[in-house]
Order: sequence, then C-alpha cells, then structure tokens
Amino acid sequence: MTALLELKDVSKTFAGGKVALENLSLAIDAEQPRFIAVVGESGSGKTTLARLLLGMIEPTQGEVRYGGDDLSRLSGVRRRAFRREVQAVFQDPYEVYNPFYRVDHVLRTPVRKFRLATSQAAGQDLIETALRSVGLRPEEILGRYPHQLSGGQRQRIMVARALLLRPRLIVADEPVSMVDASLRATILGSLRRMHEEMRISILYITHDLATAYQVADSIIVLYRAGVVEAGAVEQVVRAPRHPYTQLLIGSIPRVSTERNWVGEQRQPDRSVTASGCRFVSRCPAMTERCVGEAPSLYRVSADHAVACFLQQESAEMPNHELSEVLTQPA
Amino acid sequence: MRRYLRRNASLVIGLALLGLLCVFMVVGALTVDTSNAQALSVPALQPPSWDYPFGTDRQGRDLLAVMVAGTPLTLRIGFIAGFFGVGIGAVLAFTAAYYRGWVDSLIRGIADIGLTVPGLLVLIIIAVSLKGTLTVNEMALVVASLAWLNPTRTIRSQVLTLRERGFVEIARLNGMSGPEIIFLELMPNLLPYLAATLVSSVSAAILASVGLEVLGLGPVEAPTLGMTLYWVNFNAAIINGWWWWWTAPLVVIVIVFLGLFFLTVGLDEVANPRLRRAI
Amino acid sequence: MSEPILRVDRLRVAYHHPRGAVRAVDEVSFSLRPHERFGLAGESGSGKSTMALAILRMIKPPGRIEGGEVWLEDTRLSGIDDAAIRRLRLAGIAMVPQGSMNSLNPVVRIREQIADALSDHGLHPGRRDLAARITALLGQVGLPPEVALKYPHELSGGMKQRACIAIAICLRPKVIIADEPTSALDVVVQRQVMETLGRVQADLGAAIILVGHDMGLMAQFVDRLGIMYAGRLVEVAPIDEIITAPHHPYTRLLIDSLPSLEHRGGLRGIPGLAPLLRDLPSGCAFHPRCPLVTERCRTEKPAVREIGPDATVACHLA
Repeated sequence: MTALLELKDVSKTFAGGKVALENLSLAIDAEQPRFIAVVGESGSGKTTLARLLLGMIEPTQGEVRYGGDDLSRLSGVRRRAFRREVQAVFQDPYEVYNPFYRVDHVLRTPVRKFRLATSQAAGQDLIETALRSVGLRPEEILGRYPHQLSGGQRQRIMVARALLLRPRLIVADEPVSMVDASLRATILGSLRRMHEEMRISILYITHDLATAYQVADSIIVLYRAGVVEAGAVEQVVRAPRHPYTQLLIGSIPRVSTERNWVGEQRQPDRSVTASGCRFVSRCPAMTERCVGEAPSLYRVSADHAVACFLQQESAEMPNHELSEVLTQPA
Repeated sequence: MRRYLRRNASLVIGLALLGLLCVFMVVGALTVDTSNAQALSVPALQPPSWDYPFGTDRQGRDLLAVMVAGTPLTLRIGFIAGFFGVGIGAVLAFTAAYYRGWVDSLIRGIADIGLTVPGLLVLIIIAVSLKGTLTVNEMALVVASLAWLNPTRTIRSQVLTLRERGFVEIARLNGMSGPEIIFLELMPNLLPYLAATLVSSVSAAILASVGLEVLGLGPVEAPTLGMTLYWVNFNAAIINGWWWWWTAPLVVIVIVFLGLFFLTVGLDEVANPRLRRAI
Repeated sequence: MSEPILRVDRLRVAYHHPRGAVRAVDEVSFSLRPHERFGLAGESGSGKSTMALAILRMIKPPGRIEGGEVWLEDTRLSGIDDAAIRRLRLAGIAMVPQGSMNSLNPVVRIREQIADALSDHGLHPGRRDLAARITALLGQVGLPPEVALKYPHELSGGMKQRACIAIAICLRPKVIIADEPTSALDVVVQRQVMETLGRVQADLGAAIILVGHDMGLMAQFVDRLGIMYAGRLVEVAPIDEIITAPHHPYTRLLIDSLPSLEHRGGLRGIPGLAPLLRDLPSGCAFHPRCPLVTERCRTEKPAVREIGPDATVACHLA
C-alpha cells in the first residue's frame, strides 16, 4: 500500500517524562479512502496522535512521513501540498474562531491562500456549496460573528472549511463532543458522506465508542500510549477480546430498560510496574507473565488484532502490520 | 456607547483633561504671540496681570506664551518616543513570542538586561555625551532609545497566551504564513492592549524627558515644560518668591499626567474585559 | 404514596437583558419523592441548569425568579429570608454543580474544604472529631483517608468529583442536586462516580435530581425522568415508560438519536436547531422540528397534562 501519511515506529515523550505514544506505526492509504476511528480516554495518546499527523509536534523517536518524505523536513512546496491534502476539525467550536473577524474569514482564507477559485464569484459559490453540504444555509451564516452562532453551527462551519480544500485526509479530533446529542448525527453524517462521496479518508478520534461503531469501518483502541486492540468495528465492538475494551464497552450506559450497570464494578488497583502490560494494574485476568512482559499485538483474525497474552495462541504481529488489520475489505 | 462611557468614568475624565489641554494649545496658538516665549521679549519678573496672565520670568519670557509654545513640544517628545517605544517593542515582542526558540531567548535577554540598568542614568550618559545642544526631535530619540524595553516584555507575554488559541492553528491549516498570522490574526486582538500600552509609554516618555530637562540635559533653546522648570531651579525662583513662574508649568504637567493616567485606566478596562462589570 | 420531599410548582425564571426578557424556565412543575432518583434531561439552552439554581434560589441578576413556588417538605422556599435559605443550602438541599471538580480551591487541602463547609453552617467540631467525621465522609464516597491531606491537583478527575460529592453530603441533606457530575470523566470513571452517588444516596435516604443530557446515563440511573425543551418540562414519566413508549415527539427523537452498540444502522439526528430562548417560535416551541406537527401546534402552546399516575406531557397529540 502506498501511504499518503504514515507514522513509522513513532514514540512521543513530553518534557517531564510523560510518555504519550509508544512505538506506533500507522499508515493512511493513498489510494483507498478509509474511515478509521481512534478510541481512547484522556491520557491514552489519541490527541498526541492527531497532533503528530498534522505536523503540529514532532516525534521523539521514529518518523512521520508524508508521501514518503519526512514531515519535519518538507520544502515549502511540499508543505503546501501537505496542507492541501491533510486537514483537520477540532473539538472546541469556540476557540477556533478569531473573535475579531466574521466567520467568513475562516472560509475565505483557504480559498484565497490555496487559490481554489479563479474569481470572487467562483469562490463565493464554492463556500456556499460547502456550507449547504453540511446542512447550513449560507444566508444565515455568512456575515455573522462567531458569538452570534450556536456551537453546532460553528462546528459545522469548521467541517465545511475542511472540505473546501477537497483534502485526502481529515483528522477529526473529538469533533462532536462539545455539540448537542441531536446534532452529532448531522455532523458525523456529513463526515461519512464526505468519505463515501468525495473519497476522503477520515481519522475520527473520540472517546465515544458508540458513535465510532456507527460511522467508522475500523477502529483502534488506545490505552496509555499504546494500541490494545484494533480491527474492523464489528469485531472490536461486538466481540472485544482485550479486557480494557471489554471494560470500556461494559461501562457505557445504554438506553435500555435493561440495567447493564448492575453489580458494583470492583476494579483491582495494583501498583504499576514499568515493564509489564500497560493494563496490568486494572486487569481482572492478569497472570505472572503480564507483570514482567509487555504483550505485542496478536492477530486473532485477518481484521482483528489484540495486545494481550490471553491471545497468545494466535500469531504475533509486528507493529507495522497494524494498517493491514484496519484495511481488510468489509 | 454613551452608557458605557457613563460607567467608565476614568476614560471620560482622561479624555476631558487631555481635551482641555488641546483646547488650550489650539486657542493659545491662535491668540497668543508665541515669539514672546523666547528670552528678552517682555519685561522680566512680572507677576500675573492682564497683560501677562501667567506672569513673566527672569529672562523676559511671557509665561503664557511659554506654556502655549512649550506644551506641544513636551507632548511631541512624549508621543514620538512613546510611539517608537511601542512600535519597536511590538515588532520585537511579536517576533519573539511567535517564533520562540533562539530569537525569543535573544530578544528577551537583551530586554531583561536593559531593564535592570537604571534608565535615567543611561539617558543622562547619552544626553551628556551628545556634543552641542539638542533639538526637540533629538531629545525624543534619546528617550526612545530605552522606551521599547518594557513594551517588548509586556506585549510578548500577551502574544504568548494568544498564540496558543485554537484560531491560530486553524490559520496555519488555512495556509497562512507566520507574518500573516502575526498581522492578521494576532495583532487585531491586541489592539486594545496596544493602545493602553501606547498611552502608558507616552506617559513614561514625557516623564523621562521632563526629568532630563530639569537636570539641564534637554534642548536648552526650546521653551519646553521641563526646561522651564530647569530655569526655575537655576534662578532659585521658589526662594525668591516668584511663585507664578513655577506654578504654570507645574499645573500643566499635572494635568498632562492626570489625563494620561485616567486614560490608561480607562483603556485598561476596555482592553481587559475581566475588569468590566457586566456588559 | 408518600408526601413529596421537594415540590416545584409553576416555577418561572427570566433573564432581563437590555434587549428584552428571556424566559429560561417557563411554568415548570414536578415533585420529588423521598429516596427517589429524578432525572432532568435537556440539551444546551433548555433551561435545566437554571432550574437547578432556581431551586436553591441561586439565580443572580440579570436573572430573576418571576413566579411559582418551591417547597422543601413543609417549607416554602420563597417565603424565608436570606439567612434561612443559606442554612438550607447544603444542609437541606445540596448541589454538586457543573464542573465542580475544577472549582475546588487549588491551594486548600480537601480536609479544610470539608471543614469550611461544616463551619459555614455553624459546626466547629474538635480536631479529633473533625478528623473522624472527614474519614467517615471520604469512606462513604469510596476515598481513602489519605485524600483529606491532599490538594485537588494531586487527585484524579474521578477522585476530585467524589470529593465534591463528599462536601455535598457532609450535612446529610435530604435532596442532592447533581448537575452534569460526570461530563468531563471517561466512561469507566463515570460509572464509578455514579455508583458512588447512588450508594451515598441510599445511605442518606436522600432524593437525587440528576441534571444532564446523556440519556444513557439517565436510563441506567434514574427512576423518573423529566425532559426539558426551551424552558418547559415537556414530558415527565417513569424511566422505563420513557424508553419504551415516549409520549412527546422530542423525547422519541432524542432516544432515537442515540447511537446503538448493537447494530450499525447509521445515526439519526433531530433536524433543525434548538430555538434561542429570546426568539421562541409561536405555539409549541418544538413545532418547527416536529415530524408530527399540525396546524394547532403552530398556533397554540400545549398545556402540561397528566396522562398517567406519574406522567405528564405537553403535547397536543399525546
């Protein structure tokens, strides 16, 4: 697979010793667009992953490559191409607007900077089409200041902005967590449509497994800087093998008359060892081996990999094959 | 707008005081003969009277003319130096804060060292080493040489917080370059802050220039407020009981500083929304 | 049926802006039984947080309680003076406000923060007494005694939130109002905190009002649920009834919009936008977005009607 953007054995440690990501290899296919969800709690490394992919920070070890070139050493021309092909939607719909300008500013700037239109009218057309495609009416949006619009509207404008450039990849970092539940479907639906109709790859980063299950095709579960489980959503969500994934799914409150929160959840809390499995302090199924040795990924099926010794019957999988597990045909 | 002005009393007072000065200067320029601000123009040491409402000094200057001619000169020094200070300071601050790294360390280092040296001392040394008499504009540049130090630091810290805001990242994703982000994204948000900094910088510059002039290190020929006070000192006007000589410049200086002070406080409230009480 | 411990009767709260008054809470009535878990669900702008503050008479200008009554057992809360309502807060009705874990005083140890709450209500136990009391409180919320000596930044999000719950229950209130207590926490910790809250409530024999927007959380935790929209309580019913047979179209759409973990059917949202409270539509506030809208809905505001022993709904079609 030729990779549009990839992480090769990337680790990131921040000043002060905090390890945000460890030995992650992930490749975004250049030919076949994919909708991949990255699920994890705060501290799992998912935001660090987003920032590395967008070139906002540099890895401590390993390389981030865009079209084969090291992202941190791109020439001006290549950098522009990178910006054109890789875009983002962020979590906070309030922070991303400069309060000094009307919301038009955030839409006209990319049209101007990337020369997306040959005339003023063509540019206006482009912007209005983009706004309509996310369910907004241009006449209600253009000319307004950010504080005059709701959080949901602002976030949809950001999605419109991302797709103006017709990128190859959109990194969406918690795009709906600060938006009302009733609007989440609309925004995620826009992303899904962009993926299917415009063939854009989406990396959907979230803590919400349920929406990930609904919109994504494959999923990576991160826990404390590493991948614990990955594969097709049907596998990972309906038949999770890693104790952490199972814990996560079991903790999600369901809208059902069935109480799935029955029984007190007693989580074992042991002191942590540096060399063992990252989940050992909370794992109900831990063994001797887990304390001293960290499991690598085991490939339990063509589209399912788990980092747990419980799966040691299956074949061990080198890190860089992670992308294969995510891209098996449905 | 009017309602806001009613609540921001400081701003109103500041503008009123400075407005008063402007009126004085303009009306004065039209009605008073400013050539009488030069020495040997009128009879000396006259107390205030109808002919000479502010009295005259020992060298035969009409003090009303001196005030009318001198106030704009003092203000000019302050404005030139203040603008220079904030202008240079802002450029350095934005560059240092946005690009970080060695540029930041360098600029910050120079500013920090500069700030620890007593400013007046440096200014005195500069003024003394300049051969010949100073003109008003040269005076302004002398003061400006140090006026950029504090603004660099304060503006830098504002930019440091601002550059972490989400919209800066979006600007990068939109393809904007560093300088574009500085001018188009960061600077507009700092305009109120820059205005407030400018006013306080002008105040500081006026204070520095008056200080130098009182010591006799200013433009000796010009009838600035500070130079007038120098002559007051030189001629022991206080002891000699020529009260009108030092009252006039003192009152004008007090009005200038009060006006600038209230303006700073008022602008501070505009610039810092947290100080505002419920908009 | 026992007497309600808290009764809200046609409460009205408005915010007065120079541009006009905004009705944030519009004639809301409900009652809370002892030991009951009552949920107040709604999206942003629905008025639910204002409702919670109004019960405690903590609405600040430009907001004002315009009408209606709140009764705590036999006490009419609008009829007592400021000193009395202050005594009632924490001792009678306690609140765990939104984002409270971030509002803990960062330079004060947990022990002192609890002691402060006690002393504000005139309780100054001796040192050993206080220590015992604090240890007991922390134990109730599942925190070890060492936490008393820690500063907030030394605790995790879940622990901070549980500390806030400890402060809220230190005077054994009869009613606990929890406003989005777990919104910043991950699902695993959320479950722990909610279980703690439930246990604490059972221990105290108190009633709980859980304010939030997560319907799944409501489904798993509460006995009865009230749905707020544009300042009105559009439906109240036992939770199982709401899940299986909701009466109000908004409730139905809200439940349908939740992503399932069982099968991938795609996501459904609610079309349109929640109305701005200062610019409400005519008639029923939900009518522009309602799939079952009729002519009557556009012109006539539906009254709140009882449709069962425990259920009310505000809809022409129910």
